[in-house]
This record gives sequence, structure tokens and C-alpha cells, in this order.
Amino acid sequence: MSAYEISLLSVIGINVILAVSLNMISGFCGQISLGHGAFYGAGAYAAALAMIGTGNVLVALISATLAGSLLGIVVGFASLRVRTDFLAVTTIGVNFLFIGMVRKQGWLGGEMGISGIPGSGLGADGNMVMILLFAAATIALSLYIGRSWMGFAFRAVGEDEDTAATLGINVAAYKLAAFGIGTALAGLAGGLYTFFTQFITADAFDFILSVMLMAMVVIGGIGSTWGVVVAAIGLTLLPEAIRFVNDYRLLVFGGLLVLVIRLAPGGFAALARTVAIRMSRP
Amino acid sequence: MTAVLQLDDVAIRFGGVRAVDGVTFFVDSGDFVGLIGPNGAGKTTLIRIVAGVLRANRGRIALAGHDVTDESTASRVRKGLALTHQVVRPFREMSVLDNVVLAAGYRHTSSPLRAALHTDRRHESERAAEILAQVGLAGTERKLAGALPLGQMKRLEVARALAVDPRVMLLDEPLAGLNQAEAAKQVETIAAVNARGITVVLVEHNLEEVMRSCRRLIVLNNGRVIGDGAPRTVMSDPVVHDAYVGTGASAHVEN
Amino acid sequence: MYYIDLAVTGVSFGCMYAMMAVGLTLVYGLLRILHVAHAAVFALGAYMTVVVANATGSVGAGFLAAIVIAPLFGMATYRMLYEPLLSYRPDVPMIASVGLLVLMQDAFRIVFGEQGVTFRNNIYGFTTFDVFGVTVNAVQIAIVVSAVVIFLGLHLFTTRTRIGIGWRATVSRPKIAASFGIDSIKVRYLNFAIGSALAAVAGGLVALLNNLVDPVIGYVVSYKALAIIVLGGLGSVRGTLIASLALGLVESYGTIFIGKWLDRDAIAFLALIALLMIRPQGFAGTRAA
Repeated sequence: MSAYEISLLSVIGINVILAVSLNMISGFCGQISLGHGAFYGAGAYAAALAMIGTGNVLVALISATLAGSLLGIVVGFASLRVRTDFLAVTTIGVNFLFIGMVRKQGWLGGEMGISGIPGSGLGADGNMVMILLFAAATIALSLYIGRSWMGFAFRAVGEDEDTAATLGINVAAYKLAAFGIGTALAGLAGGLYTFFTQFITADAFDFILSVMLMAMVVIGGIGSTWGVVVAAIGLTLLPEAIRFVNDYRLLVFGGLLVLVIRLAPGGFAALARTVAIRMSRP
Repeated sequence: MTAVLQLDDVAIRFGGVRAVDGVTFFVDSGDFVGLIGPNGAGKTTLIRIVAGVLRANRGRIALAGHDVTDESTASRVRKGLALTHQVVRPFREMSVLDNVVLAAGYRHTSSPLRAALHTDRRHESERAAEILAQVGLAGTERKLAGALPLGQMKRLEVARALAVDPRVMLLDEPLAGLNQAEAAKQVETIAAVNARGITVVLVEHNLEEVMRSCRRLIVLNNGRVIGDGAPRTVMSDPVVHDAYVGTGASAHVEN
Repeated sequence: MYYIDLAVTGVSFGCMYAMMAVGLTLVYGLLRILHVAHAAVFALGAYMTVVVANATGSVGAGFLAAIVIAPLFGMATYRMLYEPLLSYRPDVPMIASVGLLVLMQDAFRIVFGEQGVTFRNNIYGFTTFDVFGVTVNAVQIAIVVSAVVIFLGLHLFTTRTRIGIGWRATVSRPKIAASFGIDSIKVRYLNFAIGSALAAVAGGLVALLNNLVDPVIGYVVSYKALAIIVLGGLGSVRGTLIASLALGLVESYGTIFIGKWLDRDAIAFLALIALLMIRPQGFAGTRAA
């Protein structure tokens, strides 16, 4: 495999983890989060510091996961106070605050970020394998949750929390669980990213990234694990495959997001289902 | 015998208005109670307090001996309370069956951790199918809940309430929006539920049906209980009569 | 003196925020949608002003162009994007709006370049006056004056003219207004038109002040506008005006104290999040969130 291919697969793997984890929060549980980049970033910075401090890969990954979920649970509490679009606004705010604060802290590298982070010792292809394994595990976890009673309760909370409560569902606990799990995975992705690049700046985790991740979730089909996986892979490959798309990346992403919501709100997963139903009719 | 539902001096005020002003009553296991009163009497507010949606300023509420005054709706449901709403709210994007299966799975959904560890739905699916048959919805299992006509949606609400194995069912205007035939059928369903030993408390404007089915009426006016007893007795009470006629309520009273 | 300087900056920014945020609060009040793409209207207004001013040599012509084009864009956004999505839960049109904003900002980058555009002949931006020892930029004065004139005009419009009264009634009580025969569809278009025109003016003025319009000009203001309309009470124009001035001043003075910890722009977010957590329904009387 060429260095380029290894690098590409690594990025795809990370994006899959990010998109699938966002889908757990916003798709399964209906809690719109437009600030997923903040948890990703928290994980990346935690891993960076841990690697510089201890040089231990496991410690770094665990720190990353914890950092992501700690910030995530805090935001989860916010979801108990505000709903839908105001929750979205709050998450945007969290994303901006995170970047705004990190940029000002000298010990986090300030505007220059953190560079020269020790590698994982696995080499580029070793990293790629690690990333892909975690991506596969994330997909498996997402599929499992979707099939479990937890996923069932998530769907109820996402659709109508007041009615969910009348079925005895502790809405607050489930929201926190969704945020906790989804953001932990985002933090993990951040740690993996740190090993991949060995150099991080706050800009990599900004609002634009969060919007792109949400685009992947919406386009793939909010709530559908496989739909989101396909969208994540596709939208990561698209700018690579088509030069035009790379130069006009935000235009394309924004445009797709608008088009999909406007014309096919269920995303490609819903379209696929409709096609499947139509094709199965005699 | 402990009352299955007990209200003790419950009161709440909004701004300057005492919507509920010191309501006390208890409901015994197996009772079939109709909570009635003219518009603005405080019935809906009282129901919302019992449901846990509103917090009273004063008083205590107990379910089968447990004081639930400070507990959330979900917690009260786990202690034996079931609710149906005046404005039906099924999970529209889920199938009729799934709506009831989720309710039936209340043991599994008690905490996210428990829920994460269980995936099997067979038992609950069977139970849900039975309950749907009981309320006369057999055959609609695969339909999207949002696509049902109103009458069937109201029965789905009852089915969901049954599925949580309640001790007491609180029904808020279960007959609203139904024509005479549908209302009669709905009452039959509810009466059958009560016949199985589940306590029923319903809030209703449709006095005809209420008189026919309930074994006890509690009348509210201006946030206070002004009548409590057998339907005939209560409705011939001049105080109750005044409350209705005086405010020009739309319901007609049979004497 | 320094503090008065900060006050001047704060007030002029506040007036600019007000012109931008009012459009946002009007849309929310009427349709319960967070029109994040409003920032693209603002940016469009800024770009139009510069481009037309450079082409014709007249800044006035630039403003005129902006005031004509922006409302068209705003109304088109309503018709093509929001109207079909009204029956969905509120975050759906909001996410679509975010998508539109991202799309537009990138379109600006592609069409007008990464570096942005500047005025060829910006006399106003560089004219300053000395008022009681404080240096005040001509554009800052223009911003404050415009704001006062515009809002006074709006006030008269919504209290003295038939159309204006009907509009105001519909924004605050849509169903009652409809029963009076007021055409709510026309009101919606009017809403977007006026809000967009205001944003366009704000955009043009900012372009003059900074002598630059770049592709990211919309982002920062959009998030601040969101903070402002929540702070001021969703749907309340008066609240928005007060909150805009407040934010302008707080940002101005706040950077002295918090500048070490936070980006100036993040201050708005801090305030917003704090408010949403403490009092999710905002301060001034609001409609249910």
C-alpha cells in the first residue's frame, strides 16, 4: 500500500468513528449536536498531553476517551435544560468556546497547537490497522445498541420525550447515556487522530468540521448506522476522487446538506429502503 | 387496605389563581372513578399534578402507600401509575406493535445500563399482540401509529397504558373527539380493564357515558371537591347542579 | 478617555448587531425557525455594497443594490427552503439553514476570492472626527445614525401604517391576525424582506468600517446574533435592541478582563450558554421556546 492510501484509509476510519458516534447522539436519541468537533478535539489534546507526558499509547487512548466523555456529559446536562434547536445552538457555542479557550492557553500550544507529539510506535500502517479496528468496533457497537432495548428507548426519547416518560423511561438518564457514549467515541477518535498526525491545532476541531459530520449523518440517513458509514466513507472519498469537489468542499457539503434535508429528509438510508420496497413489489 | 391513590390537601396556584385549592380524596383498589366538573374547575391541572407533570405548591400524593409527591412521571409509572393523554401522542414513526412493545418492556428500560444488556423482544411482542387484541386493535400491528384514525389511536393509548402493568390508570378525556359509537366502544374497553382489577380514574366531559360506567364520581369546581359518591347521588346534589348550570357548561345533566 | 473610546466602539457595534439581529428575531417570532442563514444575507449585503460601489464609483449605489438584492435572497430562502419544512420539528429547518450558510460562505470565497474585496475609494472609512478628545470614525457615526433612523422608521411603520400594524399583529399573534383577514403569507415575505434589508445595511456599513469583506464575515456575526435574540427574548424586537447594545458594550469592555482567557468572539457564546442554562426562556417576555 502506498503512503497515500494508508493515510486515506486512516482518515476514513476516523471519520467513520466520528460520524457513527454522532449518529448515536443525534440519530438514535434525537439530541441534535452541532459541536461534535469539541469532543473530538478534547480527546486529541488529552492524548497529545498524555503522550508527551507518559509516552504510553494505552494511557493516551484512555485519556482521550475520558476527556471526550467528560466534556460530553457536561453538554449532556445541557440537553436536560434545552431542546432541539436551542440544544443545537448550545452545542455550537460549546464548540466555539472550546476552540476559543484552547487557542488562548499557552500550555495547550495556543495558536500554534502542539507539535512533535511522540508516535505510537506502530508506524503508519500499524496506526491505520488500529484505527480500522476501532472503526469496526464502533460500527458493531452502534449496530448492537440499535438492536437493543437501549436503542429502542433512545428512539422514544428522540421522538417524544414526554410520552417516553409515561412509559416509565428515565429520559434524563438516557440522554446522558447517549452523550456519554457518543462523545467517548469522539474522544477516542481524537486520540487516534493525534497518533496519525503527531501535530494538532485547534482549527482541526472547529464548527465547520462539526457541520460536515452532521452532513454525513443527515445524508447517510439519521438513525441508520450503515447509512452513516456509507456517507462517511463517500464524503471523505469524494474530495479525493474529484478535484472539483476538493476545491469547493464546503460548497458541496453545504449544498448536499440542504438538498437532502429539503428533498429526502430521511437521507440515503430512507431512499434505499424505499427503493428496496419498490423493487420487492411484484 | 391502603388506598391505591391518595391525594392529601393538594393545592397549586398560577399567578393569583388557585387552580387547585386543597383537594383531598383517596381511591381504593378496583374503583372506577369519574372526575368531573365544569370547564375551568381544575380537573386537567389536578391530573397533571398526579401525573407528575406539574409540581403542587402544597399537599402530598401517594401511590399504593408510596409518597410520590417529589417524583418524576417516569418514576411514578414504575410505581404503578399509567396515563393516557387528552391529546393522543403515540410514537408516530413507530409501528402500532412497537408502541406497545416498548411499554411492555418497562422492566428492561428501567435504566440505560439494563437496557443496553437486553436485546430480546419476543416475550414483550407476544404480550403486546395480546393487549392489542384486548383493546380491539388486532390486525393493526404493522401499521404506522401516526396513520391510525383517532378512535384507534385512543385505543392504542389504552393499550400502552395496560402494557406497563399498572395498578391505577389515569385517563384524561379518553372519549374526546369520538362519535357516539366509538365512545361507547371505548367505554366498554375501559370497563373491561377495570373488571380485571385495575383501578380507573377518568376525567371526562361526556357525562352520559360517565354516569353509565363509573361507580363513583368526584366533582370538582373552582379547584375544590364539591361532590364525592355514587353517580345518582352526586348528580342530584343541588350544589353540583348549580356548579354546572351556573357556569353554563355544555354538557347536559340527566336527572 | 480610553473608556469612552470603548464606549463608542461598543455602541457602534451594538447598533450594527441590532440591525443584523432584528431580522433574525422577526423570523423566529413568526415561524419559530432559527434562520442561521441570515448571516449569509448580511454577507451578501456587504459584498454587494462593495462590488457595486467599485463598479459605479458610488457608495450610495452600492447600498441601494444591497437593499434590493438581499431581500430577494431572503424571500427566496423562505420560499425554497423553509416553507416546505414548516411541518418538521424546528431543528430540521435550522440544520438546513446552517447548510445554506456554509454553502453561501464558500460560494463567496469561490466567486470573490479568499482574500475578499475592498473598496477602491473608501473616503468614509478613513474619515475621523475628534469629538471631545475621542477619535470617532465617520462610519461609526453613520452606523449609529442609521440604526436610530431605521428603528424609528420601523416603529412608525408598525404603529401608523395599515400594513405595518398588520405585520406586527401577525408576528405576535399569528392566528388572531389571520382571523382578521390579514394575509399571513404576505406578512411572511414582508418579514423576510425587511429583516434582510436591515442585515444588508448592516453588512454594507461593516464593509465600510473595516474596508474589507471576506468570506468569513458572516459566521461570527451570525452566532452573536443568535446569542442576542435569545438574550433579548425570542421574537421581541425591543429586547433584541437592548441585548444588542448590551453585547456590544460587554464585548468592548469585557476583552479587558477576559481577553486573556477567551477570544473576544467567544464571550457572546459564554453569555448565551450561561443564559440558556439558567433561564431557558430568555429574559424579556418570550413565546414558548
